[in-house]
Amino acid sequence: MGELATDKHVKYILSVEKRKDDFESVVMEHLRMNGAYWGLTALDLMGKLDAVDVDEVVSWVMSCQHDSGGFGGNVGHDPHILYTLSAVQVLALFDKMDLIDSDKVTNIVGLQNEDGSFSGDMWGEVDTRFSYIAICCLSILHRLDRISVEKAVKYIISCKNMDGGFGCTPGGESHSGQIFCCVGALALTGSLDLVDKDLLGWWLCERQVKSGGLNGRPEKLPDVCYSWWVLSSLIMIDRVHWISKEKLTKFILDCQDKEKGGISDRPDDAVDVFHTYFGVAGLSLLEYPGLKPIDPAYALPVDVVNRIFFKK
Amino acid sequence: MSQTGADLLKQLEDIFESDPLIDEVGFVHPSQFDLLNEESSISSNSSDKAISQATKSTASSEGCSEQKNKSFWNKDHKLGISTSILLPLYKAAKLAFMTALKQYKTYGNQSDEIGNWLPASSSCDLQSILMRHSRSLLLLSCDFMTAWNCRKLVVSKKQQHSMFLDELHLSALVISYSPKSEQAWNHRRWVIKSISAHCSDFKDLLRKESELVEKVAERSKMNYRAWNHRCWLISYMDQEQAVCELKKSRSWAALHVADNCCLHYRSRLLLKMMEESGGSEKNESSGYKADIKQAWKDELDWNETLIKRYVGREALWLYRRFLSMYWINNFLSDSGGTSYNSNYCDPFLENEFCLIDSCLAVQDNEFADFQSQAVYAASYMLWLKVQVPEPLGNVLRAKMRAMDLKTLVDNSYQERSSLFNHFMS
Repeated sequence: MGELATDKHVKYILSVEKRKDDFESVVMEHLRMNGAYWGLTALDLMGKLDAVDVDEVVSWVMSCQHDSGGFGGNVGHDPHILYTLSAVQVLALFDKMDLIDSDKVTNIVGLQNEDGSFSGDMWGEVDTRFSYIAICCLSILHRLDRISVEKAVKYIISCKNMDGGFGCTPGGESHSGQIFCCVGALALTGSLDLVDKDLLGWWLCERQVKSGGLNGRPEKLPDVCYSWWVLSSLIMIDRVHWISKEKLTKFILDCQDKEKGGISDRPDDAVDVFHTYFGVAGLSLLEYPGLKPIDPAYALPVDVVNRIFFKK
Repeated sequence: MSQTGADLLKQLEDIFESDPLIDEVGFVHPSQFDLLNEESSISSNSSDKAISQATKSTASSEGCSEQKNKSFWNKDHKLGISTSILLPLYKAAKLAFMTALKQYKTYGNQSDEIGNWLPASSSCDLQSILMRHSRSLLLLSCDFMTAWNCRKLVVSKKQQHSMFLDELHLSALVISYSPKSEQAWNHRRWVIKSISAHCSDFKDLLRKESELVEKVAERSKMNYRAWNHRCWLISYMDQEQAVCELKKSRSWAALHVADNCCLHYRSRLLLKMMEESGGSEKNESSGYKADIKQAWKDELDWNETLIKRYVGREALWLYRRFLSMYWINNFLSDSGGTSYNSNYCDPFLENEFCLIDSCLAVQDNEFADFQSQAVYAASYMLWLKVQVPEPLGNVLRAKMRAMDLKTLVDNSYQERSSLFNHFMS
């Protein structure tokens, strides 16, 4: 397994940005804002955020903002709450929160529905992921008082299943990614007492398979990205001692491309920036030496979160 | 000479004009084109000939028939796109779409301000150009949200039923090559929500929608997006439809025992039946309750058969947890009583003990599946212990000690030891 090949991963992340002439990379351009968040947060956790040109990134991020306040996934793309959070997180990483017109971004409060749920944009699709995003975003902007937190929490709880997990909407199947969003939103609103921690912890710890990796749902293969979603949820509900951290660390390290850098979903698969971020973030939660600690609810380095809330 | 992206885009859009019924798209490696052409020349029938002639005439008028045959393949309403042209085609489609979108938005803003300054026909042209290019783009980049959004915008302005149905057709086409496309499934929900109020054959639409998910699920295993869509449909179903879906999905579930999604779908259908049964007086009768109890018993029996037939399947055991939890909360005999003692015997629990015992018995077997089966059985026993009312919990704890489940877990799945320790203490 060996150690984390930090320098290689930094090089890999920086190189991804430059790839523009194959179909596989151009068809992802609509979610470049998410890609920026994954890559840059991974760099920051590895202590290498200074390897990028701040002004270039920041001016590109700002050029994706619409008059409504929301951000698109790239220049000229429609705004969506998915990209708005990534944009705010990227600006937070660079300590450029002063560029954000908080009142304008706070317009996302208009996406809250009567039942407390959130739509992702004007077209009305509802998902607990959007609840997390709205809550996280407004919390970073110190504007959480602008929505009905009580209703938002009530809606999230209505998506709880009999197995203790959460789905996208009431009755939706439990999924580790959705669980992270629901638990994260409840953590950020101080409502974790509403979670049945034993029941949810049970479901989550059963995501660890023999190889040490975590899967997102029963019978699925393990995948590095769940090192983040399952692990951060277990930490937030204080049940992380129900899995083997050593085995998980080994699994993530086994997914590295030690020659060219980057981390893949499973050992020997092709790497991408998404899994590289979640691998590094997972290792950060596992307190791997040399990495900055990451906050399990805000999904930002702890020092960045501290700067947001304790600056001045 | 190689063709420009714009030529390729035109060819693609011409193919759609000539064959609007295309229902499947795929990206094909150039080396497979000869094989596809050979096969199609063997099995072509007259109606297909007409279509292929139509496309040929468009192509030859541009003098690139030969090249075209290496870029696109179209027969029996199936479309193959060569992987060698994806990049230039995508770039051309995106440029064309973004340009049209910009024009459309500028036009929209101006017409809002100063009235209809363009003749109506220009507006329609712009809309149809936008619809053409967004379709091409979505076939290449299925989650290009802005392209889906502009279609929603155009369709919601026109409010024509046939246009809504066209959107169902396009999203199904995208799903045919990208079954996990989140945006395509979202788009379907948007369409269904938009037409639900004034659709005369809505029940039929729900049925077809459910069938689509089943078809997709056959090729794309444990597809969360697809099954989530099917679960969402339940909110529109009445009890009769829910019961019908429950019946229909049973054989599929039995053939796909590792697919947790289908079992979750069944759990939602069962709960829908329970929900509907509450409230009305007719349903309060003891006869109806007995029916419900029987339906639940049938599901438990069916699940037990599968657990014994397919050894070591996690999804089946988790489904059993759901079924037994509901049974314990609703049907356990004398569940509120205080008379539990070590000799207490509930027929449901007795049956569960037998099942667990039989699954533990094979633990010496070296095959991994049998070891998994034993661990799932042990975890299920722990689940029962946690779910039953308190006095019974002690009975089950004693039973677990007698079965020596702790040693089993420590030996064959050490990672679960802390979980067991927590719930046994």
